[in-house]
Amino acid sequence: MSREDAAIAAIKHALKALKKRHLLEEGAHSPAIIALSRPIVSQGSEWKEKAENLEVELQQCYKAQSRLTEQLVVEVTDSRASKALVQEKDSLISDLQNELTQARDECSRLATLLEEKTKALELLMSEHQELKEQFEATTLRADNAEAENKMLIDRWMLEKMKDAERMNEANAIYKEMVDRQKETSIELLARQQVDGVVRQCEEGAEYYAESTVPTTCRQRIPAHEGGCASILFEHNSGKLVSGGQDKTVKMWDTNTASLTRTLHGCLGSVLDLCITHDKKSVIAASSSNNLYVWDVSSGRVRHTLTGHVDKVCAVDVSKVSNRNVVSAAYDRTIKVWDLQRGYCVNTILFHSNCNALCLSMDGQTICSGHVDGNLRLWNIQTGKLISEVAAHSFAVTSLSLSRNGNVILSSGRDNLHNLFDMRTLEICATLRGNGSRVASNWSRSCMSPDDDYVAAGSAEGSVNIWSVKSAKIVSTLTEHTSPVLCCSWSNLGKPLATSDKNGNICIWS
Amino acid sequence: MSDKGGGTEAQRYAWGGAVPLQIHLDDSEVTTLPPPPPALILAPRLGYLPLLVSQIKPFFSSSLPPGADTVWFEYKGLPLKWYIPTGALFDLLCAEPERPWNLTIHFRGYPGNILTPCEGEDSVKWSFINALKEAAYIINGNCKNIMNMSQSDQAELWRSVLNGQLEAYVRVSSKLKLDIVGDEFSLKLNSSTPKSDQTVNTDLDATGTTRTGKVPVRLYIRTIDEDIDDIEDAPIVDSWEKISYINRAVEFHGEEKCFSLHDAIKYLLPEMFTEEVAPTVGSSDTGEAQVEEGEQISGADSSTEKVLRPEIKLVRIQGIEPRLEIPFSWVVNNLMNPEHYLHISIYLKLVPIS
Repeated sequence: MSREDAAIAAIKHALKALKKRHLLEEGAHSPAIIALSRPIVSQGSEWKEKAENLEVELQQCYKAQSRLTEQLVVEVTDSRASKALVQEKDSLISDLQNELTQARDECSRLATLLEEKTKALELLMSEHQELKEQFEATTLRADNAEAENKMLIDRWMLEKMKDAERMNEANAIYKEMVDRQKETSIELLARQQVDGVVRQCEEGAEYYAESTVPTTCRQRIPAHEGGCASILFEHNSGKLVSGGQDKTVKMWDTNTASLTRTLHGCLGSVLDLCITHDKKSVIAASSSNNLYVWDVSSGRVRHTLTGHVDKVCAVDVSKVSNRNVVSAAYDRTIKVWDLQRGYCVNTILFHSNCNALCLSMDGQTICSGHVDGNLRLWNIQTGKLISEVAAHSFAVTSLSLSRNGNVILSSGRDNLHNLFDMRTLEICATLRGNGSRVASNWSRSCMSPDDDYVAAGSAEGSVNIWSVKSAKIVSTLTEHTSPVLCCSWSNLGKPLATSDKNGNICIWS
Repeated sequence: MSDKGGGTEAQRYAWGGAVPLQIHLDDSEVTTLPPPPPALILAPRLGYLPLLVSQIKPFFSSSLPPGADTVWFEYKGLPLKWYIPTGALFDLLCAEPERPWNLTIHFRGYPGNILTPCEGEDSVKWSFINALKEAAYIINGNCKNIMNMSQSDQAELWRSVLNGQLEAYVRVSSKLKLDIVGDEFSLKLNSSTPKSDQTVNTDLDATGTTRTGKVPVRLYIRTIDEDIDDIEDAPIVDSWEKISYINRAVEFHGEEKCFSLHDAIKYLLPEMFTEEVAPTVGSSDTGEAQVEEGEQISGADSSTEKVLRPEIKLVRIQGIEPRLEIPFSWVVNNLMNPEHYLHISIYLKLVPIS
C-alpha cells in the first residue's frame, strides 16, 4: 500500500499546487482587473441611463408637441371653415335681399306697365272701331272699282285682237321679202360657181385676200449672219420663220419686224424649213445631215431625224396629216419620216440628186426637182416613180405648189420659171427673167396666194414679180445688195418676204 | 472561486482557472497617437483565444485602420493556434509562468500558411464539438452519443463551456456517458476531507461500474536541446515545428489501481523508457515542481550510438506540475478539459550521457 500512500500524497500535492496556482493566477489578478474595468462600465452605464432617460423625455416632449400642433392645425382648419361658412351665409343674405328689392321694383314696374297697356288697349279698341268703319267704306269703293275694271279689260281685249290682225299682215309681207332675198343669193352663188373656182369651199377661205403687187420695201431686217437660205410664212399669218448660215431658226413678227423667238440646237446651217399645218412644229433641213424638229411652244428640239449621209437640202410636210415629213439630201435619197415616232419609214433612191421637193395637196404624191432638170412624181406609200417630165435644161432649184394644189411652179438654173398643171404635167406658162440669173442651186421662188403672181430673186439682188396671166414682169424690187436666195408670200396676200446671201430679210408690201 | 457548482474540488479549480492576459496591439496596426494602452483581461484556462475578441475589441477599436478584421494572437513571434485551449498554450509556451501573460493581438495580415482560418465563435464551437466526437470515439469506439445529442443539449453544453459553468456542464455531459475510469482515490481523499460525502457517493455511483477504457490525451512536447540549468532560460519557441504534438489514447484497465501518470507517459512515449529504472526522488534544481528524474534512460546500447538522450524536465497539466506517481485515473477525472481530452505539456531536455 506504499504505492497507494504515495499516490494519495501525490494527489494532495496536486491539490495544493492547484490552490497555489489559483492564488497566483486568477486569485491575484481578477480583483484588480475587475476593479479596473468596473468604473468604466458603471460610469458608462450611468451616463447611458441618463441619456436614455433624457431621450425618452425628449421623445415625450416631441410627442406632446406634435399632438398639440395637430390639434392646432385641426382647430385652425375648423375655424377657417366656419369663417368661410359665415361669409357665404352673409353673401347669400345680401343676395337674397337684392333679389327681393329687384323683384319688388319689377313688380311695381309691371304694375305701371299694366296700366299703360290697359290704356293703350282702350285707345286701340277705339281706333279699331274707327278702322272697321273705314274698311267697310273702302270695300264698297273697291266693289265699284272692280266693276269698272272689268269693263275696261273687255275694251282692251278688243283692241288687242285688232293689233294681231295687223301683225299677221306684216309677217306675210316679210316672208315674201325673205324668199325673194334667198332667190337672189342662190343666183349669186351660182354665178360664183360658174367662175370655176370654188374658193368658198377651200380651207382657209376666210383668210382669202387678193394679192397685191408689192412695190415698196417696208422693213429690212439683218436676220442671219452669213446668209439666210430659207424663209417661210406661217399659214395664214404674218409670222415669218427664217433659217440661215448661223445654225439658228428665228421667228419674226413682220408687222413690227421684231424677233419673237430663236430656236437653237441645229448643228449645221439651215438649208430648208417647213412648218406643220397645226403650226406646232418647225422642221429644219440642215447641212449636218440631220433634220431638226422643234416644238414651237417650248422652243425645244423634239426630234432629231438622222439617217441621211449628206447635207439635207429640201424638206416638206404633209398638208393633210402632221405626221408625214419628206426630205431630200445630197446622198441621192429621198426619205419619208414619221414625225410622231421620229423614224424613217421609207427611203427612195434615185441616181440624180434632188434639189427641191413638195408634197401634193392630198399628201400622197411627192414632187421632186432634180439636178438633171427633171420633175418627178413619186408615190409616198410605195416609193415608186409615177411619172416624170423634163422641166428644165439645167438643175431644178425650186418647186412650189399653188394654193389650190393644181399648179406647180418650178425654177431652174436655165433661169426659167415654169408652171405645170399637176394633173397632166403640161406646161401652163413659162416666165423669163430678162437676163436676171438664178442665184444658186436652191434659190426658192414663190407664188402669190391667189396664184396670180410669181416672185423670184436673182443673183443681182433684184426681185422680179411676174403676172401669171400675161407672163410678163410687172414689178422689179431692188433693195438687196447681194443675191436673193428665197422668196415667200404670205397667205394673207401680203406681205412678200425675201432673203439674201448677206442674211438680210426684206418685207415688201 | 465558485462553490455553487458540482464536481470535485480539483474540478472546480480546473474550471475556475484563468490566465491574466496583458494584450498589446501590434505596432504596425496602431493608427492613433499615443498608441492605445494594453488591455488587461482574464482568459479562462479551458477557453479559447478567439472567444475573447468581443471583449478585447472595444479597447482597440478606436485605433484600428479601416477594413475587415481577422483577429489572431501572437506570443513572442509565434502565432498562437486558436483551437488549443488557452491554459494548454500558457503551460506549453511559458516555461516559467509569466503573469500577466503578454500577448500581441493582430487584426490584419492573418498568417493563413501557419494557422487554420477562424471565422469567429462558430469555428471554435465546431472545433470543440469535433474534438468531443473524437474523444467519444476513442472512449466508446463510436460517437453515437454525440451525434444523437439534441440541439438544445448541444447549445447548453457549448454555453456552459463558454461561461465556465461547471454545474451545467456536469448536468449535460452526464448524459453523454463518457466516464472513463473509476477513481477510488478521490473517494478516499474526499472522505478525509469532511466536505461533502454526497458528491463522493454520487461520484461513486456514476463510476460504480469500472470499465476498461482508453483515455484520449493530447501531448505537447517541447524539447530543449541546449544545456541549461534553469527552465526559465528555455529558448523562445518561434515555430510550431519545434513542438511535437502527440494525439494518442492511453489504454489502461480500471483494476490497475496504481496505474500512475508515470505509467501513462511511459505508455505514450515508450522510446523514452527503454529500460525501466526504479523511480527515485531526484533533487532537481527547480524545487518541488521537478519531481522526477527517475525516467532517465540508462540504456547502454543507445548510449553507444547517441551522445545525447532526452530527459523529462517538466510535466504540466492545468498549470500544475504533479508528481509522477499520482494515479492517472484521478488526473483524468479531475483535470481533463470539457472535450474529454487531457492536455499534457512535457518539457524534454537532452542531456549528455554520463
